[in-house]
Amino acid sequence: MAKSFSNRYIFIYSAALVVVAALILTVVAVSLKPMQTRNQQAETKQMILKTIGVDATRDNADQLYAEHITDADGYYTFASGIVIPLKGTGLWGPIWGYLALDSTSTVVGAVFDHKGETPGLGGEIATDKFAQRFIGKKMDTQAIHLAKNADHSNPYEVDAISGGTMTSNGVTAMLAKAYDDYSKLSSSSSISSTTSDTSNTREEVQQ
Amino acid sequence: MKNFDLIKLPFSKNNPILVQVLGICSCLAVTAQLKPAVVMSLSVIVVVVLSNVIISLLRNTIPPRIRIIVQLVVVSTLVVLVDQVLKAYVYDVSKQLSVFVGLIITNCIVMGRLEAFAMVQKPWASFLDGLGNGLGYSVILIVLGFVREFFGSGTLWGYPVMEKLGLYEVGYENNGLMIMPPMALILVGLIIWWHRSKNKDLCE
Repeated sequence: MAKSFSNRYIFIYSAALVVVAALILTVVAVSLKPMQTRNQQAETKQMILKTIGVDATRDNADQLYAEHITDADGYYTFASGIVIPLKGTGLWGPIWGYLALDSTSTVVGAVFDHKGETPGLGGEIATDKFAQRFIGKKMDTQAIHLAKNADHSNPYEVDAISGGTMTSNGVTAMLAKAYDDYSKLSSSSSISSTTSDTSNTREEVQQ
Repeated sequence: MKNFDLIKLPFSKNNPILVQVLGICSCLAVTAQLKPAVVMSLSVIVVVVLSNVIISLLRNTIPPRIRIIVQLVVVSTLVVLVDQVLKAYVYDVSKQLSVFVGLIITNCIVMGRLEAFAMVQKPWASFLDGLGNGLGYSVILIVLGFVREFFGSGTLWGYPVMEKLGLYEVGYENNGLMIMPPMALILVGLIIWWHRSKNKDLCE
């Protein structure tokens, strides 16, 4: 193994290697970008449609979206209510979702997703099983929050994810923030709301 | 060493997880359910095979002083490439794997094989070695994913087995510890114990 390499060789070698790697990645990233963007946009539409109970595939999402949803400023309206977007942070990265609310601020559909929560733990927020826990809950006088051993009869409480405490806390914070926006929106528009007190929306869940 | 041994040995006698005790981190993280475990296995096989072959082809040109950096560049490039292709063509699978595709870069098995094997062996032997080690890793991941999802969530590949069997009605409850990472470590420990008892020559 006495083969020796000059410093010059090492510099040129590493520079060439990095340039080649960068070139390959650039070409691939640029050429795949349109497909990835299309996937992401279709997915957003699929998610919004799902909250109002319309199952769309990636191919017919555009068409169904045009039929059912109207874009408003920062939220979306459908036949019997509005869909509000949720944005927040989980344990490893961003989490987001959509809540469909009817005219009494009752949740009729929910959907959540995440960038990089742990599969099987925090990642469970993306499952239908988790989203269905929100149906029938209310966003009228306070935000919905997640809790351990939640009281199912409480319209503001939803079971958290076991093993996913940090992600669950992120979902709670995200809902509180969305509630603030939503209560401002509903008090300034025709959507009925009895909102006055927002101070107790961030009650921390005892763990 | 015969070519067949290159595939067979990493499967049992020189298993990357059981014997070399590498790749433990991802093995704890992605095995709470069967599906991510399987997809992760496939991705690791692809990366370890391709990087083994590429490093083996380059082995005589790589200056020893910067070999780790060269290996890292090759592995990172491949992983980002795999990630981009998954996002474009199989978007759902890429979502399922989330952050763990990126973490293949830090999987000790990949660089372990490059350092120990591909730097000094011919491409075809490196290909087989990568395949063998990838499969050896996969076997353990899939076993763990199966056991943990079955006992921890009562499902398999998302299918509610326990519910269909009606076990919840007679008082059965899922074992919550199974879906926590420590249980994966305990299970790996048990598998290593069983494996050593079958292979006395591995005991120190």
